[in-house]
Amino acid sequence: MSLFESAVKRPIMTALCFIAVVIFGLFSFSKLPIDLLPDIETNTLMVMTSYSGASASDIENNITRPLENTLNSVEHLKHITSKSRENVSVVTLEFEYGYDIDALTNDVRDKLDMVTSALPDEANTPIIFKFSADMIPILMLSVKAEESLPALYKILDDNIANPLARIDGVGTVSISGAPKREINIYMDPVKMEAYNIPIETVSNVIATENRNIPGGNFDVGSNTYALRVEGEFNSPMEMKNLVVGTHNGANVYLKDIARIVDSTEERAQKAFTDGQQGAMIIIQKQTGGNSVAIANAVREELPKLQKRLPSDVEIGIIVDTSENIMHTVETLTETIVYALLFVMLVVFVFLGRWRATVIIGITIPFSLIASFIYLLITDGSLNIISLSCLSIAIGNVVDDAIVVLENVTTHIERGSNPKSAAIHGTNEVAISVVASTLTMLAVFFPLTMVTGMAGILFEQLGWMMCIIMIVSTAAALSLIPMLCSNMLKLQKKQSKTFKVLYTPIARALDKLDDWYAGRINWAVRHRWTVLICCFGLFFVSLVCASSIKSEFFPTQDNGRVAITMELPIGTRVEISQDIATKLTKMWQERYGEEMEVCNFRVGQADEDNVFASMSDNGSHIISFNISFVPLTDREKSLEIICDEMRADVKKFPEIAKSNVQLGGGGGGMGGQSMASFEIYGYDFEVTDRLAKALSDSLKRASVISQVNISRSDYQPEYQVEFDREKLALHGLNLSTAATYLRNRYNGSLATYFREDGDEYDVKVRYEPNSRTSIADIENITIYSSTGKPVRIKELGKVVQRELPPTIERKDRERVVTVNAVMAAGAALSDGVEYGLGVIDRMDIPSGYNIDVAGSYEDQQDTNADLGVLAILIIVLVFIVMAAQFESLTYPFIIMFSVPFALSGVLLGLFLTGTNMNVMSILGAIMLIGIVVKNGIVLIDYTMLLRERGLGLIPATVRAARSRLRPILMTTFTTILGMVPLAVSQGVGAEMWRPMGIAVIGGLTISTMMTLIYTPVMYCVFGGVGIKRRRKSLKAKRELDEYWKEHKNDEQLISAKK
Amino acid sequence: MKSVFIAFDQAHKDAVIDILDHLNCRGFSMVEQMQGRGSKTGEPHYGSHAWASMNSGIITMVEDSVVKRLLEEIKNLDESAQMLGIRAFVWNVEQYY
Repeated sequence: MSLFESAVKRPIMTALCFIAVVIFGLFSFSKLPIDLLPDIETNTLMVMTSYSGASASDIENNITRPLENTLNSVEHLKHITSKSRENVSVVTLEFEYGYDIDALTNDVRDKLDMVTSALPDEANTPIIFKFSADMIPILMLSVKAEESLPALYKILDDNIANPLARIDGVGTVSISGAPKREINIYMDPVKMEAYNIPIETVSNVIATENRNIPGGNFDVGSNTYALRVEGEFNSPMEMKNLVVGTHNGANVYLKDIARIVDSTEERAQKAFTDGQQGAMIIIQKQTGGNSVAIANAVREELPKLQKRLPSDVEIGIIVDTSENIMHTVETLTETIVYALLFVMLVVFVFLGRWRATVIIGITIPFSLIASFIYLLITDGSLNIISLSCLSIAIGNVVDDAIVVLENVTTHIERGSNPKSAAIHGTNEVAISVVASTLTMLAVFFPLTMVTGMAGILFEQLGWMMCIIMIVSTAAALSLIPMLCSNMLKLQKKQSKTFKVLYTPIARALDKLDDWYAGRINWAVRHRWTVLICCFGLFFVSLVCASSIKSEFFPTQDNGRVAITMELPIGTRVEISQDIATKLTKMWQERYGEEMEVCNFRVGQADEDNVFASMSDNGSHIISFNISFVPLTDREKSLEIICDEMRADVKKFPEIAKSNVQLGGGGGGMGGQSMASFEIYGYDFEVTDRLAKALSDSLKRASVISQVNISRSDYQPEYQVEFDREKLALHGLNLSTAATYLRNRYNGSLATYFREDGDEYDVKVRYEPNSRTSIADIENITIYSSTGKPVRIKELGKVVQRELPPTIERKDRERVVTVNAVMAAGAALSDGVEYGLGVIDRMDIPSGYNIDVAGSYEDQQDTNADLGVLAILIIVLVFIVMAAQFESLTYPFIIMFSVPFALSGVLLGLFLTGTNMNVMSILGAIMLIGIVVKNGIVLIDYTMLLRERGLGLIPATVRAARSRLRPILMTTFTTILGMVPLAVSQGVGAEMWRPMGIAVIGGLTISTMMTLIYTPVMYCVFGGVGIKRRRKSLKAKRELDEYWKEHKNDEQLISAKK
Repeated sequence: MKSVFIAFDQAHKDAVIDILDHLNCRGFSMVEQMQGRGSKTGEPHYGSHAWASMNSGIITMVEDSVVKRLLEEIKNLDESAQMLGIRAFVWNVEQYY
């Protein structure tokens, strides 16, 4: 018994099997995490080696180069880049996507073991860091405060950071901008010198006094008591009366030579939200945690935590990455629902039966839900790719069901009872249903094998589509016949309302059939004219293609902007803060309600702040984090806003460098298109000159809104140059002298002051006003080994130096990168083209060269991958078709409709002004399968009619007429399934809009062309076949006649003998 | 005793067996998949790409009295679904064991 026969005969079993799939699917759905993109495993490793005291070029030669040379041989390495700066070398290894990073880490470790012995002895052992997307904060909270400002750190640490860190999945919670409490002991250098007491002594005394020491146990009678000495200070002011030394037989107290200030750290980052000072809380997730779930948990917790805070402290959200994800997923879910409705409507219009529509409608969710099981098993998530896959699938899963249902209906109309109609009707089309599924698998299965970046994105899509297709075929061959046998019946009489509603539709469809048959009748008699017109259109579309711009990935509008601004090095924090406040005011006025939060940080970050120390910071650096309301509630696009902000920043000549990042610099895809030009060459001066020239030309281009050069300027700094001989004369060495210096300026950490279970640093250093000039440095007193005071100016001199910039290398050559961000409306290809023009005109000395890298390189790689994929798919589809038709000619005819799909894609992109990118190419690739399906339907039926004895032209015209509706129906289901994707304006829509446009454009043109071109081409080949057969028949007949006439000729007989 | 050969579209199978049951004709032999085509209007039933449907055939030996009713019922069935096709042919049974 075949599958469909047993399905029809055992309806309960069939129904329950599918219900089981749905239950498992829904269960999986409830467990699936939500994310923006499929999990992209990191492909980057960093090797960090420190070698204190070495200059940038020493590091480059002694550490970076040997490391690069060895690490270069690790497998699957794509690029090796390095940064060599004073004391430290960072080598970054970028691998091809899709390889197991743990295995690669082991390879790297093995290679490092080999090279470590060759490194200088003082260099530390190289450390491997894995860089992953988990380091990107998932939530940034703003804190506004007034009276509580001085104690903000402790308030936030106790009431916010600690409770939040306990939430499942939360990794690190760091507080920025709220200075920590610190007990500062400011020493008076003059008094210290007078009493001959150095900072080190004071620091030691404080440390030794601030102790609790257990004294053991002792017995009194029958009891044992513990003995303790409690010396820890209860208040910082207790330290005032510590005896730090003696002078002329009298005790010197700390209060005599120092001032104790219980305040906050001297240098700390400040955070401002909407112009008001406060702090910033950054939440990072644990590796593998689900952003949306964690963000939701944090959001739930916040109102409770707010209640614990003093009334002036107010918590807000600056950035919530989950918000954008949720909005995107909501938009996509909406489009899926619309697609479902449209598809049902098309089915109803064409079939004209509500029962049939319901049967088709039931199968759609069955097939789609099954894919959730796959996602759960493979640790997938609901993301843009998997959800848009569902949207694409809706139009396709109904095709098989429609074919089966149509044939069963025909059988019922011929008089079969529904049960046998279901069995025999399905039996007749089972092979072609399987074959058409195979063509779709031939398209989607290779997607699972793509390598590189595209592979990561499309692997999930490929598998999901394969699974959905297989399930939909299984449903078409079991569930559909079962439902047909139970729900369909011969409709002898239609209801009145139905007749009123449906008669005009039916009439219009009949007219369309007639009109089309008439046109085809003309076309097959004017074959060459039609063919020339078709290919003419193809070439016209190629001409349009030349004006289509290209980019790697669409820019995603997630409402976030991150700006980093650098003032000249050494600018005081107050000045930076002033500029930032002015900008904030300007933007608040301009964007008003549309700007949700405008937060900026300025100043030197604390060393133990994980997040802040990862990003650049300093008194001259301002970092903005701005979030806008979702695109749907906003007039201007984020690209335009970014351009406006760039123009604003340019108005401040004090700002030396600025980088406005659309999307908040979250890394990965969806940021603004950026053309990177890499200048390779050894000499700093030459490459600097080239970079400057290139950047100046790029800045003038209208398509480019921002240019950054990766190499920083020489940084000014003061250095104390000790004379080693003089040091030795005083029995000192360099590190002792340097430590003295550090203790006086940076401060010596004497001890910790404990209060309420918290520890605060107690730092001893010079008074702030004794640390303001070079003379102050020179006058620092150092004590020799004999205790004799010496001034620094006697041991060396203070000089101003320029610190050379970090040496960057890529693929073992020195490099400077010039990054150009595209202006709103300009595509990556515009910038690259312009840049290449500039480079052509530049005078580049030999030994130096400029390459285009970054997302352009990724784009080229991905396009190459997708090109290979397209060829693979075409070959596979051809094989499937050739096997089905047992012919090489017919697949060839059908394959010719693929170029028309391409022209449709190009025309679609051209007319809508959309850029060519990964998503639109993906759409074009999927078209191959959908397009050939139409051709198969048409050719298959024409062949059937010819086998039934019809002539070439009548068979072609009749087949075309009869297959017009099924073709239009499947095309409309796919196109209308895509329309919501192509027109949706919601959050994240810019990601899938190009794909929707590509599929709709391609499918519309290719269907129109298939309907005209395929019958004509069939006739051309059929005509040739007939002529050939006639010719051979004629030749045979002539031979026979000749034989008949001459069979008695003697010559022939003798020749035969 | 008469022998009746009934050739019909597969879809009629259940209906034909119902008729036989109804007339108390217990014995029959059946060929489930059978190719054929009608003499006048009957579409070919080849199970091929062009002619996908198939016939079945039943040969049954019935009492003379039943033949008339059997043919009538088959005629009714044929008229209810003319697109499918069913025909019955009757001849004598000379001897049987």
